[in-house]
Amino acid sequence: MSKWLILLLFFLSVQSFAATVNKKIYIISDSLETVSGDKIPYITFNESNVFSQTNPILEFQVGDSLSLWIVNKDSVLHHFQIKDGGNIVQIIPSGDSVLIGKKFLIEGSYIYFDPLDFPENSYLGLSGMLIVKNHNHSSFYWNIKEHISDWNQTLVTNGTVSWDTYYPQYFTINGVSNPNINLNQNARIIGSVNDTLILNLANTGQSIHSLHFHGYHAIILYSSKNASHVGREKDTFPIYPMETLVLKIIPDKPGEYPIHDHNLVAVAGNNIYPNGMFTTILITP
Amino acid sequence: MMKYLFLIVLYFIALTHVTAQIDQEELIYAKMDIAPQYELWDGNKTMLMGFTSLIGKPITLQAPRLIFNEGDSIKLSLWNFSQGAPHTIHLHGLDVNQQNDGVPSLSFEVEHDETGHYYFKAPHPGTYIYHCHVVSALHVQAGMYGLVIVKPSNGSNTTWDGGYTYDNDVAWLTSELDTLWHHDTIINHPHDPLATTMEIQNYYPNYFLVNGFSKQQIYEDNNSTINSAANEVTLLRLANIGNYGNRIILPSTLNSKIISSDGRPLQTEYFSDTIVILPGERYQVLLTPTIEFQDSIEVEYFSLNTENIEGIEKIPVDINEFLTTKLNVIENDFLVYPSPTNNKITVETNNTNGTIYIYSSIGQLKLSLDTKGSKYIDVSNWDKGIYFISFKSVNAIKTKKIIIN
Repeated sequence: MSKWLILLLFFLSVQSFAATVNKKIYIISDSLETVSGDKIPYITFNESNVFSQTNPILEFQVGDSLSLWIVNKDSVLHHFQIKDGGNIVQIIPSGDSVLIGKKFLIEGSYIYFDPLDFPENSYLGLSGMLIVKNHNHSSFYWNIKEHISDWNQTLVTNGTVSWDTYYPQYFTINGVSNPNINLNQNARIIGSVNDTLILNLANTGQSIHSLHFHGYHAIILYSSKNASHVGREKDTFPIYPMETLVLKIIPDKPGEYPIHDHNLVAVAGNNIYPNGMFTTILITP
Repeated sequence: MMKYLFLIVLYFIALTHVTAQIDQEELIYAKMDIAPQYELWDGNKTMLMGFTSLIGKPITLQAPRLIFNEGDSIKLSLWNFSQGAPHTIHLHGLDVNQQNDGVPSLSFEVEHDETGHYYFKAPHPGTYIYHCHVVSALHVQAGMYGLVIVKPSNGSNTTWDGGYTYDNDVAWLTSELDTLWHHDTIINHPHDPLATTMEIQNYYPNYFLVNGFSKQQIYEDNNSTINSAANEVTLLRLANIGNYGNRIILPSTLNSKIISSDGRPLQTEYFSDTIVILPGERYQVLLTPTIEFQDSIEVEYFSLNTENIEGIEKIPVDINEFLTTKLNVIENDFLVYPSPTNNKITVETNNTNGTIYIYSSIGQLKLSLDTKGSKYIDVSNWDKGIYFISFKSVNAIKTKKIIIN
């Protein structure tokens, strides 16, 4: 009897805080401005009619229901899918829109993306982060990608590329490279000693990355690729293409410390060091 | 007058306090070669920047191994003899404070002919890396890296306090080398204190390294080969300072248990014959063979962009029931001639209790023979190229190179 009462109370408690979150995102084709100042063809999901080179973060509490409109303002067909979210692919012709609904019951970090001609449209920018959380700690978000100017130009004009020869030119977090990553509020980790800081990561690029923390070890709270890695305390975190991770950092000392890709070639942008995947964590006493 | 006296007393008290707190001091030099001197497996030589404890000797990729005990207070000094670029020591994974972190813009850098000091407490027992963090893409590739090993507080052969006891301790620091990055204009790059950026080249490594060695060099390196008795436990420390991923493939007969990563025990240890280690990661593995065998551990080096395997190295494993001492390298009792040849080779040794192994340039075993007097081997039908001939016995090892043309 008491077991059923506890279950009922749990259900009611989730229901009492759960909400329906209404969102609308727009697929817009424009260009990404690189750290070198070049502009390369790029397509993203956007929270408004105005293009941004950063995909929006869709964030929910466990138990929330999503009501999401996806509007295709591009001139070509696109698809939409939430990875590990039921594998339902939405087809969105140019100028059309679709509405999807989904309830999130499992905490984690997910990727929403365009799976059409995978990985091409995802590589071209159409891949963002969807976070389902069950805490109120300070949270930060890294959507990791790489880019090759010529490849973007080729792909938007329906050309073909050989992924077997992939050698990225630019490395970005939330669409920007060092030194601009520290200016991105979602990316730059700021906190105080003994705070619990949560870093949500999604690798929506096509390279494997190996992210190294100076100053602190972090604990893996969630891994979409290796559930057995949850609980590991490390200073260097591999993240594979289309993998998501959630890390917890509890700083034990103040200071400013780098976090960067330890494939040190990825710390450069267009072969200029250190204009790549490099940022710092800032911890006050 | 009293005020100055008080300050002097305070200074000496502080000095005594600081000195008393240091448990271990280490000094290493940062240097660069003025000409290509580091010999690679095929005889080519390349230029390096590196860390050394031997100021008068050429730089190698075997930087001093720093070994500390958990909890000890360390003073690590870096004397920069580079003639050019500034250098630092980043203590990768040791979680030292910002001042001692070795990142130029956030900590300090050590200019030519200056000495910098790093103060820290040795953290959790485990395997760590140190490397220069000045233009790190260039300086690490140039050779400025080494291993840090933290042992338990009592310095014993246990993985951590209350952890596993082991008989042998073998550490591999893997990396790659792109010789185009070792050109004089890069190794000897000018130092402009106002420059905030530096250009690098595309990276296509052509040598794949374990402790700075490849191919037959690994077979001769007692620090890399695994030699133990069947009832002994070996702690294998793995660290990757390259820009590629490593897939380590171990013979199943080694009974390999993965026990820790990045200086922390794993919550769930597991047995596996494959370990993937990405740049900057470290793993510790317990090898617990129970039978006598000879084999090799394979290290695959794969691009992080394509996942294509670009290089493979093999490290010999010799588990001998009766082996209790490390192998010695024999110098004068192993002759192989002629080279180059297109007909036959002669192998001579007076040691009759061993085996001769012949490997291709990519480490494939071509032939193995018992040693009893001279051996004449017909190579007239063999593919042209470089081959390595190893003599191994229970207490000796030597490898020589021949060319078949």
